[in-house]
Amino acid sequence: MARMHNKRKRVFVKPVVKTPKHVDHVTGDKIPKSFVFSRGKLPGPLRQLQMDLRKLMLPFTALKLKENRRNNLKDFLNVAGPMGVTNFLILSKTDTAPYLRVARTPQGPTLTFKIEEYALAADISQSQLRPRCPPDLFKNPPLIVLSGFGTGDQHLKLTTVMFQNIFPAIDVNTVKLSSCQRIVLLNYNKDTKLIDFRHYSIRLQPVGVSRRIRKFVQNHQVPDLRNLQDVSDFVTKAGYGSESEADDEAATVTLASDLGRVNQAASKSAVKLQEIGPRMTLHLVKIEEGLCSGGVIFNEYGNPSEKKREDPKEVSPQESQEEGDSEDEMDDNDDDDLDE
Amino acid sequence: MDDAAARVGEHKMKRRKPGHSKKSKKRVNPSHGGGGPKVKKIDGKMKRLFRKRAREYNSDDDDKDEQKLDIQDDRDISAGGNEMKLLEAGDDDSDDNSADVSGNGSGEEDGADSEDGHGTAKFKDGSNAFRAAFESIMSNAVTDDGLGPVLSAQRKLVAEKLAEEGVEKKVKGEAKKEKQLVKEKGHVKPANYLDAREKFLIGVATKGVVKLFNAVNKAQHAQKGLNPSRSKDEKVIKKRRKEAFFSELKKPSSSSSANLTKVGTSGEDQAPAWAPLRDNYMFSNPGLKDWDKVQDASEGEGGSEMPEYKSSSDDE
Repeated sequence: MARMHNKRKRVFVKPVVKTPKHVDHVTGDKIPKSFVFSRGKLPGPLRQLQMDLRKLMLPFTALKLKENRRNNLKDFLNVAGPMGVTNFLILSKTDTAPYLRVARTPQGPTLTFKIEEYALAADISQSQLRPRCPPDLFKNPPLIVLSGFGTGDQHLKLTTVMFQNIFPAIDVNTVKLSSCQRIVLLNYNKDTKLIDFRHYSIRLQPVGVSRRIRKFVQNHQVPDLRNLQDVSDFVTKAGYGSESEADDEAATVTLASDLGRVNQAASKSAVKLQEIGPRMTLHLVKIEEGLCSGGVIFNEYGNPSEKKREDPKEVSPQESQEEGDSEDEMDDNDDDDLDE
Repeated sequence: MDDAAARVGEHKMKRRKPGHSKKSKKRVNPSHGGGGPKVKKIDGKMKRLFRKRAREYNSDDDDKDEQKLDIQDDRDISAGGNEMKLLEAGDDDSDDNSADVSGNGSGEEDGADSEDGHGTAKFKDGSNAFRAAFESIMSNAVTDDGLGPVLSAQRKLVAEKLAEEGVEKKVKGEAKKEKQLVKEKGHVKPANYLDAREKFLIGVATKGVVKLFNAVNKAQHAQKGLNPSRSKDEKVIKKRRKEAFFSELKKPSSSSSANLTKVGTSGEDQAPAWAPLRDNYMFSNPGLKDWDKVQDASEGEGGSEMPEYKSSSDDE
């Protein structure tokens, strides 16, 4: 009888524990989640890019999000609320170029990027001699590194904040190094005003250990000793390529804890990055206040309405308001064009 | 017999002209002559029986029906391979053509029909003409173009059509290519090697990772051997973190002050970096205040130096 009571109690308690669904159970931070979808019909390669982006956003994204042609933005927004989705990545395509919009739900802002160039994950793995994809690569969110954004421009600051909040924040005190498997790099080039978007996998290798021994420890296979006179030769004989690997001092770290079988906490490890794609070159075109609507905060091409906007602050509040309204309308039109 | 045959032939020709009547007659015939009144359908057995009877009645007979059968049989023989077909035609009453041919055949056999003779002559002429034409065609050297041997009238048309198709294909292909280009816009296949730009980007990313890992190492060094999920360890961890935080706070303050002093010195009057070259080097450095005296003192006595040094330091 007592058992029964216990069972009932447990069942009752469980949902109470489960309620903070969108919150990291260690740090208590809210976990950002995302939808990656497209507006309008995409050609084959862009569809693939969308899939790659979804994989990149794993694990807090809908990998198999089914979208209908009739779905509009409102539908996604309605679903996003209860699911705790905080970010939208929207791919669209015009005759001039494909576009990527990164938006925060439900209120915005929205950053519109023109994708100048892109390469799919498949292309990148094809270009590599040994593409690497460990089975648990996509089980943890990627780290994000933003570089070159500190020029003091407001729109760049906003971009930084946006991208930092796309992925869950890392608590230095509790993070496990084994969960850091991927890294997303956004590098802003001042001269060309382009943002390089790269996605790498992180690999750690012990420094000062010959390749042979490393492989032996990793693979757990009986090595081929036919050509050796003595067992000690296996350890002492230097394999080729070991010198070049050990040269980069800047890329070595001492680990806080053991990582895998090979990387001991005491010894130094070298950080090796290998690209997994997708690769994009983005050009920040526009920032809007709302979710794909609202006033334009920043426009790369200097919209005439934007120029007006800066002036009337000195003139009178009424005029500026009117102009703001007209801007909104224009933005809506722009959106329609993009969507088509 | 000849007479009879001729008569019958005439009779047949006459009868054939109306066309449909013959069939009906044919259908009626067997039921009248050969079999009993019960037999209405002619199956294979009956056919064989009729044929046998026809062979037996090879002489003149009074019965017209039997004669007709006889003639039919003759026709069959003359037609050779068409024998079965003919019989079937008789049964099915659908095959008019074969019946006509058979009629012609019988006429030729008789040789009585003048019209038939004329037809053969014509055919002979026709065959000669055909032979001549065929030979002339065959003797022609075939031009070896893409169109192949085609009659001249047709050739022009075909050429035109092909040219048109070619143009159409070209236009279509171009349109397709353009579409593909639009589709693939911005899609770039990466190179097999790492160029300078990629290397630089990897370097940047590596720096970021190293920074993070070092920070993690620093932060987690304090809580080594403690499990953050256990409440007992949590207090200790909190305490250690606090200490680490404060120690961290103290460190940058010293470094910032150093920065400040650096800024101050550099801001004054671009003083040289090496201390002995500065103007106030002698005053700021207490050991060098009375350098000539010290030298003298060191020559004379060593004890007088110490109190002087102390006083100078106190003044400062």
